Amino acid sequence: MNSNGLSTSVPASTGPGGAIAESAGSPVQKAAQPILATENVTMQFGPFVALNNVSASFESNKLTAIIGPNGAGKSTFFNLVSGAFAPTLGRIRFQGRDITGMAQHEFARMGIAKSFQITNVFKLLSAHENVRVAAQMRRTRFELLRPRADLKDLIDQADALLHRVGLTGLRDKRAGDLAHGQQRCLEIAMALACEPQLLLLDEPTAGMSPEETLAMMDLITSLAEERTVILVEHKMKLVMGICQRLVVLHHGEVLAEGTPDDIRTNDEVKRVYLGQSI
Amino acid sequence: MFDLKLLILQMVTGVALGSVFVLLSIGLSLIFGMLTVVNFAHGAYFMVGAYVGVYALGVTGNFWLSLVIVPLAVGALGLLTERFLVRPLYGRGIDYPLLLTFGLSYVMMDLVRMVFGSDGQPIGTPPGLGGAVDIGVGNFPVYRLFLIVATAIIVAALWLFIEKTRFGLIIRAGARDPEIVRVLGIDVSKAWLLVFGLGTAIAGLSGILAAPIRAVTPEMGIPVLIEAFVVTVVGGMGSLPGAIVAGLLVGIVYSLSSLYVPDFADTSIFVLMALVLLVRPQGLFGRAGLMS
Amino acid sequence: MLRNSVLNGISRHRVAAVTGFLLVFPWLMPYEALAVNVLIFGLYAMGFNLLFGYTGMLSFGHAAFLGVGSYGTGIVMVHYGWPWYLAIPAGVILASLFGVVIGWMAIRTRGIYFSMVTLALAQCVYFIFYKAESLTGGENGLRGIKLETIDFLGLQIDLLNPTNKYYFLLIFVVMTLWFVSRVLSSPFGAVIETIRENEKRSAACGYDVARTKLVAFVLSAAICGLAGSLRALHLSVVPVDSLHYLTSGQAVMMALLGGMGTFFGPFVGAAAFLLIEDVVTNITKYWQFVAGAVFMTFVLFFPRGIWGSILHWLRQR
Repeated sequence: MNSNGLSTSVPASTGPGGAIAESAGSPVQKAAQPILATENVTMQFGPFVALNNVSASFESNKLTAIIGPNGAGKSTFFNLVSGAFAPTLGRIRFQGRDITGMAQHEFARMGIAKSFQITNVFKLLSAHENVRVAAQMRRTRFELLRPRADLKDLIDQADALLHRVGLTGLRDKRAGDLAHGQQRCLEIAMALACEPQLLLLDEPTAGMSPEETLAMMDLITSLAEERTVILVEHKMKLVMGICQRLVVLHHGEVLAEGTPDDIRTNDEVKRVYLGQSI
Repeated sequence: MFDLKLLILQMVTGVALGSVFVLLSIGLSLIFGMLTVVNFAHGAYFMVGAYVGVYALGVTGNFWLSLVIVPLAVGALGLLTERFLVRPLYGRGIDYPLLLTFGLSYVMMDLVRMVFGSDGQPIGTPPGLGGAVDIGVGNFPVYRLFLIVATAIIVAALWLFIEKTRFGLIIRAGARDPEIVRVLGIDVSKAWLLVFGLGTAIAGLSGILAAPIRAVTPEMGIPVLIEAFVVTVVGGMGSLPGAIVAGLLVGIVYSLSSLYVPDFADTSIFVLMALVLLVRPQGLFGRAGLMS
Repeated sequence: MLRNSVLNGISRHRVAAVTGFLLVFPWLMPYEALAVNVLIFGLYAMGFNLLFGYTGMLSFGHAAFLGVGSYGTGIVMVHYGWPWYLAIPAGVILASLFGVVIGWMAIRTRGIYFSMVTLALAQCVYFIFYKAESLTGGENGLRGIKLETIDFLGLQIDLLNPTNKYYFLLIFVVMTLWFVSRVLSSPFGAVIETIRENEKRSAACGYDVARTKLVAFVLSAAICGLAGSLRALHLSVVPVDSLHYLTSGQAVMMALLGGMGTFFGPFVGAAAFLLIEDVVTNITKYWQFVAGAVFMTFVLFFPRGIWGSILHWLRQR
């Protein structure tokens, strides 16, 4: 229980609508198990406590957003569950498996892909090569002598992903030369290339124009139909419209969890976002 | 037969040797902490300091005066280096200033050869600091005691400067987050300039301090650079306590090896480094996750 | 554009293009020994370039691999009487083993330490070989490596003839060129470039950066080891400063001078470096000054190197 008397952990099997997530494998088993869960996770940087005893769980095949004012700990939480660093205390579970402290590169292999808050692509490589090399991870490890031009299926896969995010015409352009919004789309394509079951997106619409933002939101919604997507966003209006669940962080703790309606009517949340229309 | 007195005596020798390493490593860490530059010319500044000191000693006849002249002269050289050679390379990636200072070390070595010749410049123990004194476990050279004391004084002065002055605050802030320095509105380039100058000045000073106990040759900077790197890796880059502890540790390891396993003395410090790399790759005092 | 298609054609057949150039190279050099040195040091620079130019890892200890390759080959020939066709692989394998050990330790460290640690570990290797006098000859180096004639398919090739020696060594260089070209075009080659560009991103894509770096490091060590092997056969001695810091520095200088991250750059760099050295040492004894000054000029103003700048200029116009 946090200081507001709100429970800081939510049993995974229930959602406000009582919906049971549909997914491959035994439906009852999968519905009972969240795809991602943090157990009493604390993150401390020196004397500064960024996250304090956070237990949260995320259901499969839902589009969940992590929101909260600046300094709430959203980025830290994102970095923890995406493998950038390990928590000071607590455990993280993916599909029931303890993944606390695993190396960054194991995350994509396990099926957790992420996009970065500050665009992080391979600037000198072409857009196509960025996606192709991201897709290559699943196919080969240490092949030294085969020309990669022979791996036609990877080339086609990369083209398909570029098409999905709307970058087909910019295939051969250097990633560093793309416009900001295009780079964000490229990041998504690269994340999709590792065939993830869980997609983590850190402020995907940051710095985008209103049109680009709408297009990105459409893309995210369609992606959420095929896999679990967890977003970090601070644009409340956006997430309200498309997400099925929200987790609100504040001062490194979970303030509230629930559907957009729950959050909209939550007094605590309203107080924290004082004056902002939710 | 185990001789305790000899052991202690050898350890004190190690502390004297390590004192030079401490000074060099502090200079390296300062420059890296503030500018994110690995100064591959650090050994060359050490060497130039020794030569300038020997020359000043020859001209003035006064060792103490030389100790004042050297850091000023070498520091000035460092200021010029940062301003005209290193500064154009910021933003190009961490390897470029490193490469540049590496090339600079070649130039400095040959410049010294041009001016002073390729043979060594032997310098005897300065008057007043010669002879040996009984430190309880045996006779120990006075100069080496002086070296230890001088290093302690310099380190204390540096500590005061960094912890207690405004400029020291900039160094500490810069070492933690260069962005903070910018945000505070301080002229970052001036800070870089002065820190580079300070780091090289310390290197030069350690050169003249070490001159009476090491061979003063144009190549003297090379082994010393390597030793400084070993100390830095063992202690942790950017950490001043790390530089002190590691510097003394490396000195002691070397001198004890010279006594007990002389055939392996040269490689002993690398074994120490390898052990640290195995157990704590960021260095004994290094911050985990610092600049990967 | 015709120019771009010519460039792309050369790029696709880079092994043939470089081989073609190296076939006629001796005629461009004032004397053959210089051409042989360019081959050997070009190979050395190529090994270094794979690690620095393509993977982005700046090692200052590559002399360890050149030297170990030389000593490995020399020791088995001088002390154990091995034939050349076993001695060369021995040098390469020994250099690769040192590559595994040094690479594993150096890669463990934070990125900024890498250059320092490689330098330090190479110096450690230097001391070890210096001290092992009975095997290595210590300060005087290893002497007596004899390879004067080769019996090959009934033919007797006289290797004291510098032209014959050049083309004999060229065979090994071409094999390595082919190998490196394949590696660079392979999926692995794509991964090392992502590591050079953006390590964090590469890891986020799922690549085991540390292990990939180690593989690149060992490949690089093997190539430099081969260069060392050939050098031992060429000089008939292994000078102890093969393992010295300044020899490591040579690799860095040649690679940058020629053009990092380009296929042909290492040979351009080796040729330029050795030619300048040849000319300058006839005029003055302050060759280090010139080398350092030229290198600094390139770092400041021509970081792409000679060949890299040419390629860039050709692609722009």
